[in-house]
Amino acid sequence: MNDTWQRDVPVFNVPIWTRPFKVLCGLAGLGLILVAYREVVGLGPASGMNDAYAWGIWKTFNTMVLTGLGSGAFAIGIAAWLFRRNQLHVVMRTALLTSFLAYVFGLAMLGVDVGRPWNFYWIVAPWRWNLHSPLLEVAVCMSIYATIPLFVENIPPALEYIYQQWPKLRPIVKQVEKCFVKAFPWIVSLAYVLPAMHQSSLGALMLLGGNRVSPLWQTPFLPLLYVWAAAFLGFAFVSATLLFCGVMWKRPLDVDILGEMSRINAWLIGTWLVFRIADLSIRGQIVAAFRPNVDAVLFWAEMALMAAAFWFQRNPAVRRSPRKMFYGALLATVGGILYRFDPTTTAFQPKANAIYFPSVIEILISVGFMSLGILIFIFLAKILAILPAPNKLWHEMESRRVNPRLKPLTASPRVEGYVAGD
Amino acid sequence: MEITRRDLLQKITTGGAVIAVGGAVSAATLTGIAHAEEAKLSPQAVGMLYDATRCIGCQTCVVACTKANDLTPDIRRDQLHQGPGDLNSYTKTIIKLYKSTDGKEFSYVKQQCMHCIDPACAAACMFGGLKKDAKTGAVTWNGSLCVGCRYCEIACPFNVPKFGWEGFNPKIVKCEFCKERLAKGEQPACTEVCPKKAVIFGPREELMKEAKLRIAANPGKYFENRVYGEREAGGTQVLYLSHVAFDKLGLPQPGDESVPHKYLKWQKRLYSYLVLPAGLYAVLVGSIRKNWKGHEEHMEEEEKATGLRPQL
Repeated sequence: MNDTWQRDVPVFNVPIWTRPFKVLCGLAGLGLILVAYREVVGLGPASGMNDAYAWGIWKTFNTMVLTGLGSGAFAIGIAAWLFRRNQLHVVMRTALLTSFLAYVFGLAMLGVDVGRPWNFYWIVAPWRWNLHSPLLEVAVCMSIYATIPLFVENIPPALEYIYQQWPKLRPIVKQVEKCFVKAFPWIVSLAYVLPAMHQSSLGALMLLGGNRVSPLWQTPFLPLLYVWAAAFLGFAFVSATLLFCGVMWKRPLDVDILGEMSRINAWLIGTWLVFRIADLSIRGQIVAAFRPNVDAVLFWAEMALMAAAFWFQRNPAVRRSPRKMFYGALLATVGGILYRFDPTTTAFQPKANAIYFPSVIEILISVGFMSLGILIFIFLAKILAILPAPNKLWHEMESRRVNPRLKPLTASPRVEGYVAGD
Repeated sequence: MEITRRDLLQKITTGGAVIAVGGAVSAATLTGIAHAEEAKLSPQAVGMLYDATRCIGCQTCVVACTKANDLTPDIRRDQLHQGPGDLNSYTKTIIKLYKSTDGKEFSYVKQQCMHCIDPACAAACMFGGLKKDAKTGAVTWNGSLCVGCRYCEIACPFNVPKFGWEGFNPKIVKCEFCKERLAKGEQPACTEVCPKKAVIFGPREELMKEAKLRIAANPGKYFENRVYGEREAGGTQVLYLSHVAFDKLGLPQPGDESVPHKYLKWQKRLYSYLVLPAGLYAVLVGSIRKNWKGHEEHMEEEEKATGLRPQL
């Protein structure tokens, strides 16, 4: 039987302070301590970056790739608001929170990565902007996107929490919500223009790498392929998050909605694959895929993952099985990550014989920031109504608030001492 | 979802409006800007001409550069060596020796910033930390505008700008044609001290004439009878003559079109005056406001049916 997702409900029946949560806190803490070390000694001793490879994983992975995973709010939002896939509204909060965290920590990593961050205040001085620089475009659009549309769109769950916890504040919350309803179409529209701009500009970043980027990736259509990859990565990552959280916290899954996301994702990937292959063929660079080198191997790995993700998710039988949909979303996520990461690092050869491999400190800082994002998501999902569920779960939550010892109504057996993720 | 006739009509009109407005706006933007302009060089633009056949590899220029630019010697390896392997944050110019494996063919080569006519580093720079001087054409760095993002290093087709990896106040280091000396009316330190006049300084136009005279006077002496830097990456203000193939000297082959012109022309067109994003925003606001109404009605119905507060 399918449990229809009707509204977002907090994960109220799981403790916050679990063992995986503590591990994430430890990793995040270690990462932040190492950031302090990096700020004192400089980038050289802390990272594997060098005179040939001036960019490391902080920029190429945490900022350029992970914000692609954080494009769920952009991609699903467009499907829900513009193409009126109304049943997707219920997963928007999950998409919005994952996107917000991906962007905030992507920007934070950018702050750690740059050498002279104190000069970043020029971002508020438009007469200083070099509008032709793709990186400026990325920095400006990402900052505005994260601080205005994404931030504002993430406020309603917090308002709802206040409404429930402090009945005295209810009239104020209602007033604020009215303002939100008026402002929302304007903000929501901004939330689609800005990502379309900076997700494509992320692709444009490597355009300036010129012929030092392997022809398998370097193309004038890099911006288009990047923004399209952001779209399917957003869908895939939010699907994967919903499925993973649903299984981990034993919440009912709506196979119809997840199936719809899979279906849309399959077609986004299919279109992307057509673009990608057409671009390679028209540029006559398809032969580069048959040279015996690392680039070709990674290209085929990427192609195989994407083709598998497409083939898998377009199958209606797969879209009835949560487990298989999870695999599909995972394939698309890994393939998309590979596509967006390769041209910045493995397929970028600035100088003959130059190599780059991230240092341990670099990796730990990168992992630390990801852990921080994940633990904030887990914390907020347990406090606020982020993850979708049937209405009956909401009623159960309400009745447990009145009587905390009440046995659960839904089929979510909670054993004493059970640790999430075990 | 059931589609009524009204819905369908609405969709068609919205879609039509989207396409019409979007098409009109993009056509206006793309035709309005005739074409991304080729960068032009001022007639006073200066340059350097390096003739590899004259260089004796004495490195006097390297020492003079280090002194003139207050660079500390690069003794990072063991406090004894100063000889770096390549340009780095302690080294704005370097002399390298090329020798073929059989030892018969050899040449020195001097490397420093090429001072492109249309520099990729300046095109990449967010706030104009790297900028091309309107008069001399020197590409110079301004520490109060540089964020230290190192995009210039990614963008430069000659791998020139170098970032100081040590410490908390890193700088971007590259040849700036000794901008302080130029301002005083002097020439750069390296060209001043060169005992063989292997590297000379002057207006780019005259250096180009000089280089072509040398080629004409000694046909066959110079590789391909041409000047490296005349057209490379859209033309550079540093010019090379060599008896050895340029790529053997580690001089890249970036093609004749400048990197910003080749790769950013569409970016420039799409973002000119932000017309396209603004148009897109207007279209989105229009259609989302329309869809918003239906969503609100749906939420109200849900509230009536379930008694639960609607969620935004």
